[in-house]
Amino acid sequence: MTDAVRTPITQALQDGAISRRELKALMQRSNLPAFRHLAIWIILLVVTGTGIALTMGTIWVVPAMFIHGVVLVHHFSLQHECCHYTVFRTRWLNDAVGWICGLIINVPHQHFRYEHCDHHTYTQLNGQDPELIPLPKTVWSYLKYISAIPYVFGQMRALILHASGRIDESEVHFLPKDVQPIVFLEARLMLGFYVALLIACIATGWTGPLWFWLVPYLMGEPVMRAIRMTEHVGRPNVDDLRENTRSNLVSKPFQFLCWNMNYHAEHHYASSVPFHALPRLHKKLDGYIFVEPRGYLGAHRDIVAQLLGKKPRSDAKQAL
Amino acid sequence: MARVKAWHVVAKVDDLEKGDVTPVVVGQRELAIYDGVDGISISYGRCTHGAANLCDGYFDGRRIECPLHQGLFDALTGKALAAPARVALRMIDCKVEDGQVLAWI
Repeated sequence: MTDAVRTPITQALQDGAISRRELKALMQRSNLPAFRHLAIWIILLVVTGTGIALTMGTIWVVPAMFIHGVVLVHHFSLQHECCHYTVFRTRWLNDAVGWICGLIINVPHQHFRYEHCDHHTYTQLNGQDPELIPLPKTVWSYLKYISAIPYVFGQMRALILHASGRIDESEVHFLPKDVQPIVFLEARLMLGFYVALLIACIATGWTGPLWFWLVPYLMGEPVMRAIRMTEHVGRPNVDDLRENTRSNLVSKPFQFLCWNMNYHAEHHYASSVPFHALPRLHKKLDGYIFVEPRGYLGAHRDIVAQLLGKKPRSDAKQAL
Repeated sequence: MARVKAWHVVAKVDDLEKGDVTPVVVGQRELAIYDGVDGISISYGRCTHGAANLCDGYFDGRRIECPLHQGLFDALTGKALAAPARVALRMIDCKVEDGQVLAWI
């Protein structure tokens, strides 16, 4: 019998945190919650986009773009769920919607899917988790990460690298040779689209994509960087989901925007549970996982306290 | 000495999770018994990609989805249908007799 691989949900089942019957009930898929959520999502995008149009030429366009940008960058949450096939019951819809989301925020979907597999296998393990965000050592490095500047340039660099038919050394582990052509084709399609759009804008003088997409995205991305930090940063670099992942109790609007991904530890425990069932899974796993009741801001208070030396650093545990 | 294969009772039909996948351990083997729309089938219970226990995954009656990375397999043929799964599941011949599931192992 194989004992070596014990997935988080297997662990939770063995520990009695959840029963098989409960798990199977939570795993049931449905298109309806996704269509409902997506319909409101599109309306929200139209509303925030209209906000930009109505305020153009005034100082109010700045907050309008920021608000639109915050919604735009949350396409990552939808894409993330699609990568787990937990948005739509119809599997190909997850692929299609995930790919479109990735195009909006420059996160190539197939590449993300492979990278994210290793994130779930090696969560928070130094040198193995390709999505690991290290606990910053200084306030400066904390602010630098949240600025999203290194992230945005890194994403663009990766897109160009993949479009040129190469991968980074750090990607070898999760990108087997036979899937690399898929990643290269995806990067070429995306880069081709971006370049074609840029040329069209320059040729016609059309500035819509700049004011309704690129600038809001750049303004909103720091918010997404800050949210991504709350998932694992400041938690120990150990192979135990009860410790290495943080769930955050957030307001309903943010819960809507992140497609319930604030229940991050629950998601890591059972990544096949659809987004709409995560609040119910949260209740089942109450007391079994680490939950930050003060939400995103509470998580950042924890992170900042650690980097200022007011609390023991979470990464000290693995350094021993 | 090579072990000789034979039909072994691995479960009672009444004990299977209806329309779902049931975990069974036979000796050192972890098996997955699928009660699918096309009948009962059996595979080895671990995903060929990350070795997660497929019995904890989502089964839609025809396809089993790995609970760890959501790779997909045909539960009747074992064929790997979606990334990151690439290697087919090892299927085990099975039959139902007198309300019991037998596997050729």
